[in-house]
Amino acid sequence: MNGTDRAELAALAGDYALGLMSATEAALFETLMQRDPALAGEVALLNDRLLPLDLSAEPAPLPEGFAEGLRARLREVAAGGDPAPGAWAGTEPGGAANLNRAPWRRRAGLAAALVIGVALGLLGGAQRPAPQPIVVAVLLDDQGQPRAVIEDYGNDTAQIRFVADVEMPPGTSIEAWTLPSQDLGPVSLGVLDGARAAVLRGPDLPPPMDAQLYEITLEPLGGSPTGRPTGPIIAKGLAVAQGL
Amino acid sequence: MRGVARRMLGRDDLADEALQDAMVLIWRKAAQQAGGAGSARGWIYAVLRNRCLTILRDGSRLASLPPEELTRLQEARQDLVPDDGWRLLAGPGRLGDCLQALDDHSRRAILMAHVAGFSHGEISARQGVPLGTTKSWIRRGLASLKECLS
Repeated sequence: MNGTDRAELAALAGDYALGLMSATEAALFETLMQRDPALAGEVALLNDRLLPLDLSAEPAPLPEGFAEGLRARLREVAAGGDPAPGAWAGTEPGGAANLNRAPWRRRAGLAAALVIGVALGLLGGAQRPAPQPIVVAVLLDDQGQPRAVIEDYGNDTAQIRFVADVEMPPGTSIEAWTLPSQDLGPVSLGVLDGARAAVLRGPDLPPPMDAQLYEITLEPLGGSPTGRPTGPIIAKGLAVAQGL
Repeated sequence: MRGVARRMLGRDDLADEALQDAMVLIWRKAAQQAGGAGSARGWIYAVLRNRCLTILRDGSRLASLPPEELTRLQEARQDLVPDDGWRLLAGPGRLGDCLQALDDHSRRAILMAHVAGFSHGEISARQGVPLGTTKSWIRRGLASLKECLS
């Protein structure tokens, strides 16, 4: 490929990343990207570089009924149905009406976790395709923003990935926890010196289950002195069993 | 994520529809995205913006809205990229500095496309210049931006 073609392709990648192509052009370009990893990389780089423009949008909490609708649609997709995008229309009346508020909130977290977890899990898991996590938990902060994802493989190994920075005062560590049962109480999965992806090797625990609680807390340097969470909770979330 | 859709689409119902669609697409496409370059976050937001654009550019989707509502939405989108104060859009990082270094036309055109979802044609009409001029402003601007950020 000569230099002019490359420049032209780079310009097209820019048009695509900025959303300046028609639907037809964009579909063609996506086919091209599938065949040309360098081109896909160019677009991905631009997406990342321009990401601050997305993150500056005023945060908006999810509306009631959103998670139910999403969950229903994902079930259809998983079952082989193929609802065209746009098929979703107000699902609240039938779906969430029978559920009282508390379980519904739990479900909202689960459905959001499901999608975000699947996306992040697969994206990060490219280099190790063999083992599949038993559960994935997306940890949300008290504002409902995703901060980290924990994939638990069940063999006392879990992987944590952060999707947002964590402000860490000097002399503190991040500690990851799970609550396998009320009897066992919170169990440490590991101590981290920063918000970076890491493999956690925890103690011998029962296999993780759907809706098991995971959280990360800010602890003194080196981890909690008591073996139980002592510091503020950075984020927490309930696990979603994989294999929908 | 919902904030991005609300900003671009101007209506909660449209934003929630875009977000639902995006979530389904993310769920379905995550496998083929595996191993791709770039961050998961960058990709997820790109999927969402693409869904928003599909809704914005589907004439029949917006045709059911009353004309005055359409006008309101267009004006709200126009106001998303102020001449002054655009820096808030870029956050505290280097992107703001690099956008600052661009000429006003290029910067504005890039922000109108990315933040407000305007097309080439809409941007050229709003800037009062031919389509080709807008295109070359954007391409030149993006090239400088990439160099500045690398």
